[in-house]
Amino acid sequence: MMTYIVFILSVIFVVSFVGFSSKPSPIYGGLVLIVSGGVGCGIIMNFGGSFLGLMVFLIYLGGMLVVFGYTTAMATEQYPEVWVSNTTVMGVFLLGLLMEVMLVLYVLKSEEVGVVFKFSGVGDWAIYDTGDSGVFSEEIMGVAALYSYGVWVVIVTGWSLLVGVLVILEVTRGD
Amino acid sequence: MNPLIFTTILMTVLLGTMIVMMSSHWLMIWIGFEMNLLAIIPILMKKYNPRTMEASTKYFLTQATASMLLMMAIIINLMHSGQWTITKVFNPTASIIMTSALAMKLGLTPFHFWVPEVTQGISLTSGLILLTWQKLAPMSILYQISPSINLNILLTMAVLSILVGGWGGLNQTQLRKIMAYSSIAHMGWMTAVLVYSPTLTMLNMLIYIMMTLTMFMLFIQSSSTTTLSLSHTWNKTPLTTTLILITLLSMGGLPPLSGFMPKWMIIQELTKNSSIILPTLMAIMALLNLYFYMRLTYSTSLTMFPSTNNMKMKWQFETKQITLLPPLIVMSSLLLPLTPMLSILD
Repeated sequence: MMTYIVFILSVIFVVSFVGFSSKPSPIYGGLVLIVSGGVGCGIIMNFGGSFLGLMVFLIYLGGMLVVFGYTTAMATEQYPEVWVSNTTVMGVFLLGLLMEVMLVLYVLKSEEVGVVFKFSGVGDWAIYDTGDSGVFSEEIMGVAALYSYGVWVVIVTGWSLLVGVLVILEVTRGD
Repeated sequence: MNPLIFTTILMTVLLGTMIVMMSSHWLMIWIGFEMNLLAIIPILMKKYNPRTMEASTKYFLTQATASMLLMMAIIINLMHSGQWTITKVFNPTASIIMTSALAMKLGLTPFHFWVPEVTQGISLTSGLILLTWQKLAPMSILYQISPSINLNILLTMAVLSILVGGWGGLNQTQLRKIMAYSSIAHMGWMTAVLVYSPTLTMLNMLIYIMMTLTMFMLFIQSSSTTTLSLSHTWNKTPLTTTLILITLLSMGGLPPLSGFMPKWMIIQELTKNSSIILPTLMAIMALLNLYFYMRLTYSTSLTMFPSTNNMKMKWQFETKQITLLPPLIVMSSLLLPLTPMLSILD
Protein backbone atom coordinates (compact mmCIF):
# COMPACT_ATOMS: atom_id res chain seq x y z
CA MET A 1 0.00 0.00 0.00
CA MET A 2 2.81 2.42 0.71
CA THR A 3 4.00 2.29 -2.90
CA TYR A 4 0.61 3.54 -3.95
CA ILE A 5 0.22 6.11 -1.19
CA VAL A 6 0.36 9.10 -3.54
CA PHE A 7 -2.27 7.52 -5.74
CA ILE A 8 -4.59 6.88 -2.77
CA LEU A 9 -4.10 10.40 -1.47
CA SER A 10 -4.84 11.87 -4.87
CA VAL A 11 -8.03 9.83 -5.11
CA ILE A 12 -9.16 11.19 -1.74
CA PHE A 13 -8.19 14.66 -3.02
CA VAL A 14 -10.42 14.35 -6.08
CA VAL A 15 -13.28 12.87 -4.05
CA SER A 16 -13.27 15.81 -1.66
CA PHE A 17 -13.16 18.22 -4.61
CA VAL A 18 -16.25 16.45 -5.97
CA GLY A 19 -17.71 16.82 -2.50
CA PHE A 20 -17.60 20.58 -2.52
CA SER A 21 -18.26 21.12 -6.21
CA SER A 22 -21.62 19.43 -5.86
CA LYS A 23 -22.48 22.54 -3.89
CA PRO A 24 -23.72 21.71 -0.46
CA SER A 25 -23.88 24.58 2.00
CA PRO A 26 -20.52 26.39 2.36
CA ILE A 27 -19.94 25.02 5.84
CA TYR A 28 -19.81 21.49 4.46
CA GLY A 29 -17.72 22.73 1.56
CA GLY A 30 -15.26 24.06 4.10
CA LEU A 31 -15.28 20.69 5.83
CA VAL A 32 -14.16 18.82 2.72
CA LEU A 33 -11.71 21.62 1.96
CA ILE A 34 -10.01 20.80 5.26
CA VAL A 35 -9.80 17.17 4.22
CA SER A 36 -8.50 18.05 0.76
CA GLY A 37 -5.96 20.48 2.25
CA GLY A 38 -4.63 17.85 4.59
CA VAL A 39 -4.47 15.23 1.85
CA GLY A 40 -2.80 17.69 -0.52
CA CYS A 41 -0.21 18.37 2.15
CA GLY A 42 0.43 14.63 2.28
CA ILE A 43 0.91 14.47 -1.49
CA ILE A 44 3.41 17.33 -1.43
CA MET A 45 5.29 15.77 1.46
CA ASN A 46 5.65 12.53 -0.43
CA PHE A 47 7.62 14.41 -3.05
CA GLY A 48 9.98 15.75 -0.42
CA GLY A 49 8.36 19.11 0.11
CA SER A 50 7.97 19.21 3.85
CA PHE A 51 8.19 23.00 4.02
CA LEU A 52 5.43 23.53 1.47
CA GLY A 53 3.20 20.95 3.13
CA LEU A 54 3.48 22.71 6.45
CA MET A 55 2.79 25.97 4.62
CA VAL A 56 -0.49 24.45 3.40
CA PHE A 57 -1.50 23.54 6.92
CA LEU A 58 -0.47 26.78 8.53
CA ILE A 59 -1.46 29.42 6.01
CA TYR A 60 -4.18 27.77 3.97
CA LEU A 61 -5.99 25.72 6.59
CA GLY A 62 -4.99 27.69 9.66
CA GLY A 63 -5.40 31.14 8.20
CA MET A 64 -7.59 31.36 5.17
CA LEU A 65 -9.96 28.51 5.91
CA VAL A 66 -10.49 29.69 9.49
CA VAL A 67 -11.52 33.13 8.25
CA PHE A 68 -13.73 31.48 5.66
CA GLY A 69 -15.33 29.36 8.39
CA TYR A 70 -16.06 32.40 10.52
CA THR A 71 -17.61 34.38 7.68
CA THR A 72 -19.70 31.38 6.60
CA ALA A 73 -20.88 30.88 10.16
CA MET A 74 -22.06 34.49 10.17
CA ALA A 75 -23.95 34.09 6.91
CA THR A 76 -25.42 30.63 7.33
CA GLU A 77 -29.05 29.70 6.80
CA GLN A 78 -31.42 27.82 9.04
CA TYR A 79 -31.40 24.48 7.20
CA PRO A 80 -28.08 24.17 5.37
CA GLU A 81 -27.84 21.79 2.45
CA VAL A 82 -26.05 18.50 2.97
CA TRP A 83 -25.09 16.06 0.26
CA VAL A 84 -28.14 13.88 0.92
CA SER A 85 -30.74 16.57 1.50
CA ASN A 86 -31.23 17.70 -2.07
CA THR A 87 -31.65 15.33 -5.00
CA THR A 88 -29.58 17.52 -7.29
CA VAL A 89 -26.64 17.73 -4.93
CA MET A 90 -26.70 14.01 -4.23
CA GLY A 91 -26.97 13.25 -7.93
CA VAL A 92 -23.98 15.41 -8.84
CA PHE A 93 -21.95 13.96 -5.98
CA LEU A 94 -22.70 10.39 -7.00
CA LEU A 95 -21.94 11.20 -10.63
CA GLY A 96 -18.59 12.65 -9.65
CA LEU A 97 -17.83 9.61 -7.50
CA LEU A 98 -18.76 7.33 -10.37
CA MET A 99 -16.43 9.17 -12.76
CA GLU A 100 -13.62 8.93 -10.23
CA VAL A 101 -14.19 5.21 -9.65
CA MET A 102 -14.12 4.56 -13.38
CA LEU A 103 -10.90 6.55 -13.75
CA VAL A 104 -9.29 4.67 -10.85
CA LEU A 105 -10.19 1.32 -12.39
CA TYR A 106 -8.81 2.50 -15.74
CA VAL A 107 -5.53 3.52 -14.11
CA LEU A 108 -5.23 0.30 -12.14
CA LYS A 109 -6.05 -1.93 -15.08
CA SER A 110 -3.81 -0.50 -17.77
CA GLU A 111 -0.20 0.54 -17.68
CA GLU A 112 -0.72 3.88 -19.36
CA VAL A 113 -3.56 6.35 -19.14
CA GLY A 114 -4.23 8.49 -22.17
CA VAL A 115 -7.29 10.67 -21.67
CA VAL A 116 -6.20 14.09 -22.95
CA PHE A 117 -2.51 13.50 -22.57
CA LYS A 118 -0.51 10.39 -21.83
CA PHE A 119 0.31 9.75 -18.20
CA SER A 120 2.24 6.62 -17.47
CA GLY A 121 3.01 6.68 -13.81
CA VAL A 122 4.44 9.12 -11.35
CA GLY A 123 7.93 8.88 -12.84
CA ASP A 124 6.74 10.89 -15.82
CA TRP A 125 7.02 14.11 -13.87
CA ALA A 126 10.50 15.44 -14.53
CA ILE A 127 12.18 17.56 -11.91
CA TYR A 128 14.34 20.49 -13.00
CA ASP A 129 17.26 21.44 -10.79
CA THR A 130 18.50 24.95 -10.13
CA GLY A 131 22.25 24.39 -10.41
CA ASP A 132 24.35 22.38 -7.97
CA SER A 133 21.71 21.40 -5.50
CA GLY A 134 23.23 18.07 -4.60
CA VAL A 135 23.39 18.89 -0.92
CA PHE A 136 20.27 21.00 -0.39
CA SER A 137 16.76 19.74 -0.96
CA GLU A 138 14.96 20.76 -4.10
CA GLU A 139 12.01 22.47 -2.58
CA ILE A 140 13.94 24.79 -0.31
CA MET A 141 15.92 25.76 -3.41
CA GLY A 142 12.60 26.46 -5.09
CA VAL A 143 11.46 28.72 -2.29
CA ALA A 144 14.80 30.55 -2.41
CA ALA A 145 14.52 30.89 -6.18
CA LEU A 146 11.10 32.47 -5.74
CA TYR A 147 12.69 35.45 -4.07
CA SER A 148 15.77 35.69 -6.28
CA TYR A 149 14.86 34.80 -9.87
CA GLY A 150 11.18 35.24 -9.32
CA VAL A 151 10.95 38.65 -7.71
CA TRP A 152 8.66 39.91 -10.44
CA VAL A 153 6.25 37.01 -9.81
CA VAL A 154 6.14 37.86 -6.12
CA ILE A 155 5.46 41.53 -6.86
CA VAL A 156 2.73 40.76 -9.40
CA THR A 157 1.07 38.16 -7.20
CA GLY A 158 1.18 40.43 -4.17
CA TRP A 159 -0.32 43.29 -6.15
CA SER A 160 -3.05 41.01 -7.54
CA LEU A 161 -4.01 39.91 -4.05
CA LEU A 162 -4.15 43.51 -2.81
CA VAL A 163 -6.27 44.57 -5.75
CA GLY A 164 -8.41 41.49 -5.20
CA VAL A 165 -9.27 42.71 -1.73
CA LEU A 166 -10.02 46.21 -3.04
CA VAL A 167 -12.20 44.83 -5.83
CA ILE A 168 -14.19 42.59 -3.51
CA LEU A 169 -14.77 45.44 -1.08
CA GLU A 170 -15.84 47.67 -3.96
CA VAL A 171 -18.19 45.09 -5.47
CA THR A 172 -19.93 44.21 -2.22
CA ARG A 173 -20.31 47.82 -1.14
CA GLY A 174 -23.50 48.11 -3.10
CA ASP A 175 -24.07 51.82 -3.02
CA MET B 1 -16.42 55.25 -6.01
CA ASN B 2 -13.62 56.67 -3.93
CA PRO B 3 -11.26 58.37 -6.44
CA LEU B 4 -8.14 56.78 -4.98
CA ILE B 5 -9.60 53.29 -5.21
CA PHE B 6 -10.92 53.98 -8.68
CA THR B 7 -7.50 55.12 -9.84
CA THR B 8 -5.85 52.06 -8.31
CA ILE B 9 -8.29 49.70 -9.97
CA LEU B 10 -8.01 51.44 -13.34
CA MET B 11 -4.22 51.31 -13.13
CA THR B 12 -4.45 47.61 -12.35
CA VAL B 13 -6.47 47.08 -15.53
CA LEU B 14 -3.70 48.82 -17.45
CA LEU B 15 -1.04 46.86 -15.55
CA GLY B 16 -2.75 43.57 -16.37
CA THR B 17 -2.77 44.28 -20.08
CA MET B 18 0.83 45.49 -19.96
CA ILE B 19 1.91 42.30 -18.19
CA VAL B 20 0.18 40.23 -20.87
CA MET B 21 1.82 42.18 -23.66
CA MET B 22 5.37 42.22 -22.33
CA SER B 23 5.80 38.78 -20.75
CA SER B 24 7.64 35.90 -22.28
CA HIS B 25 6.57 33.30 -19.71
CA TRP B 26 3.16 31.74 -20.25
CA LEU B 27 2.31 31.80 -16.54
CA MET B 28 2.86 35.54 -16.32
CA ILE B 29 0.60 36.03 -19.33
CA TRP B 30 -2.13 34.07 -17.60
CA ILE B 31 -1.60 36.09 -14.41
CA GLY B 32 -1.90 39.28 -16.49
CA PHE B 33 -5.22 38.14 -17.95
CA GLU B 34 -6.58 37.31 -14.51
CA MET B 35 -5.45 40.64 -13.06
CA ASN B 36 -7.11 42.43 -15.95
CA LEU B 37 -10.35 40.51 -15.44
CA LEU B 38 -10.39 40.99 -11.68
CA ALA B 39 -9.80 44.71 -11.86
CA ILE B 40 -12.30 45.49 -14.58
CA ILE B 41 -15.26 43.99 -12.71
CA PRO B 42 -15.84 47.02 -10.43
CA ILE B 43 -15.38 49.32 -13.42
CA LEU B 44 -18.19 47.47 -15.20
CA MET B 45 -20.27 47.72 -12.08
CA LYS B 46 -19.89 51.44 -11.54
CA LYS B 47 -23.62 51.91 -11.00
CA TYR B 48 -25.17 49.40 -8.67
CA ASN B 49 -28.28 48.20 -10.42
CA PRO B 50 -29.19 44.58 -11.27
CA ARG B 51 -28.45 45.11 -14.95
CA THR B 52 -24.81 46.02 -14.47
CA MET B 53 -24.38 43.21 -11.97
CA GLU B 54 -25.78 40.73 -14.45
CA ALA B 55 -23.53 42.07 -17.19
CA SER B 56 -20.46 41.90 -14.95
CA THR B 57 -21.31 38.34 -13.93
CA LYS B 58 -21.67 37.26 -17.54
CA TYR B 59 -18.39 38.91 -18.45
CA PHE B 60 -16.62 37.32 -15.50
CA LEU B 61 -17.93 33.83 -16.24
CA THR B 62 -17.02 33.84 -19.92
CA GLN B 63 -13.59 35.36 -19.40
CA ALA B 64 -12.80 33.02 -16.50
CA THR B 65 -13.74 30.03 -18.67
CA ALA B 66 -11.48 31.35 -21.40
CA SER B 67 -8.64 31.75 -18.89
CA MET B 68 -9.12 28.17 -17.77
CA LEU B 69 -8.93 26.95 -21.35
CA LEU B 70 -5.81 29.05 -21.85
CA MET B 71 -4.22 27.48 -18.78
CA MET B 72 -5.05 24.03 -20.09
CA ALA B 73 -3.43 24.86 -23.41
CA ILE B 74 -0.37 26.25 -21.61
CA ILE B 75 0.00 23.04 -19.60
CA ILE B 76 -0.39 20.81 -22.66
CA ASN B 77 2.24 22.93 -24.40
CA LEU B 78 4.48 22.53 -21.35
CA MET B 79 4.05 18.79 -21.34
CA HIS B 80 4.99 18.45 -24.98
CA SER B 81 7.82 20.95 -25.16
CA GLY B 82 9.08 21.23 -21.60
CA GLN B 83 9.43 24.99 -21.61
CA TRP B 84 7.34 28.04 -20.85
CA THR B 85 8.42 30.54 -23.50
CA ILE B 86 5.89 32.01 -25.81
CA THR B 87 7.78 31.86 -29.08
CA LYS B 88 6.09 28.85 -30.59
CA VAL B 89 3.27 26.56 -29.58
CA PHE B 90 4.62 23.07 -30.12
CA ASN B 91 1.51 20.95 -30.10
CA PRO B 92 -1.54 21.23 -32.41
CA THR B 93 -3.95 20.41 -29.59
CA ALA B 94 -2.53 23.17 -27.44
CA SER B 95 -2.67 25.57 -30.36
CA ILE B 96 -6.33 24.85 -31.07
CA ILE B 97 -7.33 25.15 -27.42
CA MET B 98 -5.37 28.39 -27.12
CA THR B 99 -6.99 29.84 -30.23
CA SER B 100 -10.44 28.98 -28.87
CA ALA B 101 -9.62 30.52 -25.50
CA LEU B 102 -8.40 33.75 -27.08
CA ALA B 103 -11.44 33.80 -29.38
CA MET B 104 -13.65 33.59 -26.32
CA LYS B 105 -11.82 36.54 -24.82
CA LEU B 106 -12.17 38.59 -28.00
CA GLY B 107 -15.78 37.75 -28.68
CA LEU B 108 -15.40 35.85 -31.95
CA THR B 109 -18.18 33.58 -33.15
CA PRO B 110 -19.16 31.02 -31.83
CA PHE B 111 -18.25 32.65 -28.52
CA HIS B 112 -19.78 36.03 -29.31
CA PHE B 113 -22.96 35.78 -27.28
CA TRP B 114 -21.66 37.68 -24.30
CA VAL B 115 -20.61 40.80 -26.22
CA PRO B 116 -23.99 42.46 -26.91
CA GLU B 117 -25.46 41.52 -23.55
CA VAL B 118 -22.50 42.74 -21.52
CA THR B 119 -22.06 45.93 -23.57
CA GLN B 120 -25.74 46.75 -23.21
CA GLY B 121 -25.80 46.29 -19.46
CA ILE B 122 -23.01 48.69 -18.58
CA SER B 123 -22.53 52.44 -18.86
CA LEU B 124 -21.14 54.04 -22.02
CA THR B 125 -17.69 54.72 -20.57
CA SER B 126 -17.35 51.17 -19.27
CA GLY B 127 -18.50 49.89 -22.64
CA LEU B 128 -15.80 51.99 -24.25
CA ILE B 129 -13.10 50.40 -22.11
CA LEU B 130 -14.58 46.96 -22.70
CA LEU B 131 -14.65 47.20 -26.47
CA THR B 132 -11.31 48.88 -27.01
CA TRP B 133 -8.78 48.27 -24.25
CA GLN B 134 -9.83 44.72 -23.45
CA LYS B 135 -9.20 43.63 -27.01
CA LEU B 136 -5.54 44.59 -26.88
CA ALA B 137 -4.31 41.80 -24.62
CA PRO B 138 -5.82 38.75 -26.42
CA MET B 139 -4.92 40.20 -29.79
CA SER B 140 -1.28 40.64 -28.75
CA ILE B 141 -1.12 36.97 -27.73
CA LEU B 142 -2.70 35.92 -31.02
CA TYR B 143 -0.08 38.02 -32.78
CA GLN B 144 2.69 36.26 -30.92
CA ILE B 145 1.44 32.72 -31.56
CA SER B 146 0.33 33.46 -35.14
CA PRO B 147 2.85 31.14 -36.86
CA SER B 148 1.38 28.10 -35.14
CA ILE B 149 -2.35 28.81 -35.37
CA ASN B 150 -4.52 26.32 -37.23
CA LEU B 151 -5.68 28.26 -40.30
CA ASN B 152 -8.99 26.46 -40.77
CA ILE B 153 -10.28 27.15 -37.30
CA LEU B 154 -9.25 30.78 -37.29
CA LEU B 155 -10.66 31.54 -40.72
CA THR B 156 -13.94 29.78 -39.89
CA MET B 157 -14.30 31.83 -36.73
CA ALA B 158 -13.37 35.02 -38.57
CA VAL B 159 -15.87 34.59 -41.40
CA LEU B 160 -18.64 33.54 -39.04
CA SER B 161 -17.89 36.58 -36.88
CA ILE B 162 -18.24 38.90 -39.85
CA LEU B 163 -21.55 37.23 -40.70
CA VAL B 164 -22.86 37.38 -37.16
CA GLY B 165 -21.62 40.93 -36.66
CA GLY B 166 -23.43 42.01 -39.80
CA TRP B 167 -26.69 40.18 -39.38
CA GLY B 168 -26.89 40.55 -35.63
CA GLY B 169 -26.68 44.32 -35.72
CA LEU B 170 -29.48 44.74 -38.24
CA ASN B 171 -32.36 44.60 -35.82
CA GLN B 172 -30.87 46.80 -33.11
CA THR B 173 -31.86 50.26 -32.00
CA GLN B 174 -29.74 50.39 -28.85
CA LEU B 175 -26.44 52.03 -29.63
CA ARG B 176 -24.35 49.91 -27.31
CA LYS B 177 -25.58 46.71 -28.92
CA ILE B 178 -24.85 48.17 -32.35
CA MET B 179 -21.31 48.94 -31.24
CA ALA B 180 -21.00 45.42 -29.80
CA TYR B 181 -21.98 43.77 -33.09
CA SER B 182 -19.68 46.16 -34.91
CA SER B 183 -16.90 45.00 -32.59
CA ILE B 184 -17.63 41.34 -33.38
CA ALA B 185 -17.44 42.03 -37.11
CA HIS B 186 -14.22 44.01 -36.84
CA MET B 187 -12.62 41.28 -34.76
CA GLY B 188 -13.55 38.92 -37.56
CA TRP B 189 -11.75 41.09 -40.10
CA MET B 190 -8.71 41.30 -37.85
CA THR B 191 -8.35 37.60 -37.23
CA ALA B 192 -8.99 36.70 -40.87
CA VAL B 193 -5.68 38.20 -41.94
CA LEU B 194 -3.73 37.20 -38.82
CA VAL B 195 -2.07 34.14 -40.29
CA TYR B 196 -1.25 35.86 -43.59
CA SER B 197 0.12 39.15 -42.32
CA PRO B 198 -0.03 40.01 -38.59
CA THR B 199 1.00 43.61 -39.37
CA LEU B 200 -2.38 44.20 -40.96
CA THR B 201 -4.08 42.83 -37.87
CA MET B 202 -2.27 45.49 -35.84
CA LEU B 203 -3.21 48.15 -38.39
CA ASN B 204 -6.85 47.13 -38.26
CA MET B 205 -6.77 47.09 -34.47
CA LEU B 206 -5.33 50.61 -34.40
CA ILE B 207 -7.86 52.09 -36.80
CA TYR B 208 -10.73 50.18 -35.15
CA ILE B 209 -9.79 51.46 -31.70
CA MET B 210 -9.61 55.03 -32.98
CA MET B 211 -13.00 54.82 -34.67
CA THR B 212 -14.72 53.08 -31.77
CA LEU B 213 -13.22 55.57 -29.33
CA THR B 214 -14.55 58.42 -31.47
CA MET B 215 -18.03 56.90 -31.75
CA PHE B 216 -18.31 56.23 -28.04
CA MET B 217 -17.14 59.71 -27.17
CA LEU B 218 -19.69 61.24 -29.51
CA PHE B 219 -22.35 59.11 -27.81
CA ILE B 220 -21.11 60.12 -24.36
CA GLN B 221 -21.19 63.76 -25.32
CA SER B 222 -24.83 63.61 -26.33
CA SER B 223 -25.59 61.12 -23.52
CA SER B 224 -27.50 59.01 -25.98
CA THR B 225 -27.87 55.27 -25.76
CA THR B 226 -30.66 54.67 -28.28
CA THR B 227 -31.14 55.63 -31.90
CA LEU B 228 -34.03 57.83 -30.88
CA SER B 229 -32.00 59.91 -28.43
CA LEU B 230 -29.13 60.08 -30.90
CA SER B 231 -31.52 61.56 -33.44
CA HIS B 232 -32.00 64.57 -31.18
CA THR B 233 -28.41 65.73 -31.49
CA TRP B 234 -29.31 68.18 -34.27
CA ASN B 235 -30.94 70.22 -31.57
CA LYS B 236 -28.30 69.85 -28.87
CA THR B 237 -25.04 70.22 -30.77
CA PRO B 238 -25.57 70.45 -34.53
CA LEU B 239 -21.87 70.00 -35.27
CA THR B 240 -21.95 66.55 -33.68
CA THR B 241 -24.41 65.32 -36.30
CA THR B 242 -21.89 65.88 -39.09
CA LEU B 243 -19.15 64.26 -37.06
CA ILE B 244 -21.36 61.23 -36.36
CA LEU B 245 -22.05 60.97 -40.07
CA ILE B 246 -18.39 61.02 -41.02
CA THR B 247 -17.26 58.63 -38.31
CA LEU B 248 -20.00 56.12 -39.00
CA LEU B 249 -19.22 56.10 -42.69
CA SER B 250 -15.58 55.59 -41.80
CA MET B 251 -16.53 52.61 -39.62
CA GLY B 252 -18.45 51.19 -42.55
CA GLY B 253 -15.29 51.23 -44.61
CA LEU B 254 -16.05 53.78 -47.27
CA PRO B 255 -13.14 54.88 -49.46
CA PRO B 256 -11.96 58.35 -48.86
CA LEU B 257 -12.11 57.82 -45.10
CA SER B 258 -9.56 56.01 -42.97
CA GLY B 259 -11.83 53.07 -42.20
CA PHE B 260 -11.26 51.95 -45.75
CA MET B 261 -7.54 51.46 -45.17
CA PRO B 262 -7.61 48.21 -43.18
CA LYS B 263 -10.28 46.63 -45.35
CA TRP B 264 -8.40 47.49 -48.54
CA MET B 265 -5.10 46.16 -47.22
CA ILE B 266 -6.71 43.00 -45.86
CA ILE B 267 -8.45 42.23 -49.13
CA GLN B 268 -5.22 42.89 -51.01
CA GLU B 269 -3.25 40.59 -48.71
CA LEU B 270 -5.83 37.83 -48.97
CA THR B 271 -5.95 37.98 -52.75
CA LYS B 272 -2.16 37.93 -52.89
CA ASN B 273 -2.40 34.58 -51.10
CA SER B 274 -4.71 33.25 -53.83
CA SER B 275 -7.94 33.17 -51.91
CA ILE B 276 -10.60 34.98 -53.88
CA ILE B 277 -13.88 33.70 -52.52
CA LEU B 278 -13.03 34.54 -48.94
CA PRO B 279 -12.35 38.28 -49.35
CA THR B 280 -15.32 38.59 -51.70
CA LEU B 281 -17.55 37.07 -49.05
CA MET B 282 -16.05 39.28 -46.37
CA ALA B 283 -16.50 42.42 -48.43
CA ILE B 284 -20.11 41.54 -49.20
CA MET B 285 -20.82 40.89 -45.54
CA ALA B 286 -19.31 44.24 -44.61
CA LEU B 287 -22.23 45.75 -46.47
CA LEU B 288 -24.54 44.55 -43.73
CA ASN B 289 -22.46 46.55 -41.25
CA LEU B 290 -22.63 49.53 -43.54
CA TYR B 291 -26.41 49.23 -43.69
CA PHE B 292 -26.99 49.71 -40.01
CA TYR B 293 -24.41 52.51 -39.80
CA MET B 294 -26.24 54.21 -42.66
CA ARG B 295 -29.51 53.77 -40.82
CA LEU B 296 -28.00 55.59 -37.84
CA THR B 297 -26.76 58.41 -40.05
CA TYR B 298 -30.15 58.60 -41.77
CA SER B 299 -31.96 59.11 -38.51
CA THR B 300 -29.31 61.38 -37.00
CA SER B 301 -27.68 63.56 -39.61
CA LEU B 302 -29.53 63.25 -42.87
CA THR B 303 -33.12 63.72 -41.71
CA MET B 304 -34.94 65.29 -38.81
CA PHE B 305 -36.26 62.18 -37.14
CA PRO B 306 -39.92 62.44 -36.01
CA SER B 307 -40.15 63.55 -32.42
CA THR B 308 -42.57 65.41 -30.21
CA ASN B 309 -42.50 69.18 -30.45
CA ASN B 310 -41.00 69.80 -27.05
CA MET B 311 -37.94 67.76 -28.00
CA LYS B 312 -37.29 70.24 -30.78
CA MET B 313 -36.81 73.18 -28.48
CA LYS B 314 -34.04 72.29 -26.07
CA TRP B 315 -32.71 75.27 -24.18
CA GLN B 316 -30.73 73.65 -21.36
CA PHE B 317 -27.44 72.77 -23.00
CA GLU B 318 -25.28 70.53 -20.92
CA THR B 319 -21.63 70.94 -21.75
CA LYS B 320 -19.31 68.05 -21.32
CA GLN B 321 -15.61 68.22 -21.77
CA ILE B 322 -14.61 65.24 -23.86
CA THR B 323 -10.88 64.83 -24.04
CA LEU B 324 -9.18 64.36 -27.36
CA LEU B 325 -12.35 64.36 -29.42
CA PRO B 326 -11.18 66.61 -32.28
CA PRO B 327 -7.91 64.76 -32.88
CA LEU B 328 -9.73 61.45 -32.73
CA ILE B 329 -12.27 62.58 -35.27
CA VAL B 330 -9.56 63.79 -37.59
CA MET B 331 -7.63 60.57 -37.21
CA SER B 332 -10.62 58.34 -37.74
CA SER B 333 -11.58 60.00 -40.99
CA LEU B 334 -8.54 61.43 -42.71
CA LEU B 335 -5.78 58.86 -42.33
CA LEU B 336 -6.15 57.21 -45.72
CA PRO B 337 -3.33 59.10 -47.49
CA LEU B 338 -0.95 57.86 -44.78
CA THR B 339 -1.34 54.23 -45.84
CA PRO B 340 2.31 53.76 -46.87
CA MET B 341 3.25 54.47 -43.27
CA LEU B 342 1.88 51.18 -42.09
CA SER B 343 5.35 49.73 -42.51
CA ILE B 344 6.17 51.23 -39.11
CA LEU B 345 3.97 48.58 -37.53
CA ASP B 346 6.30 45.75 -38.56
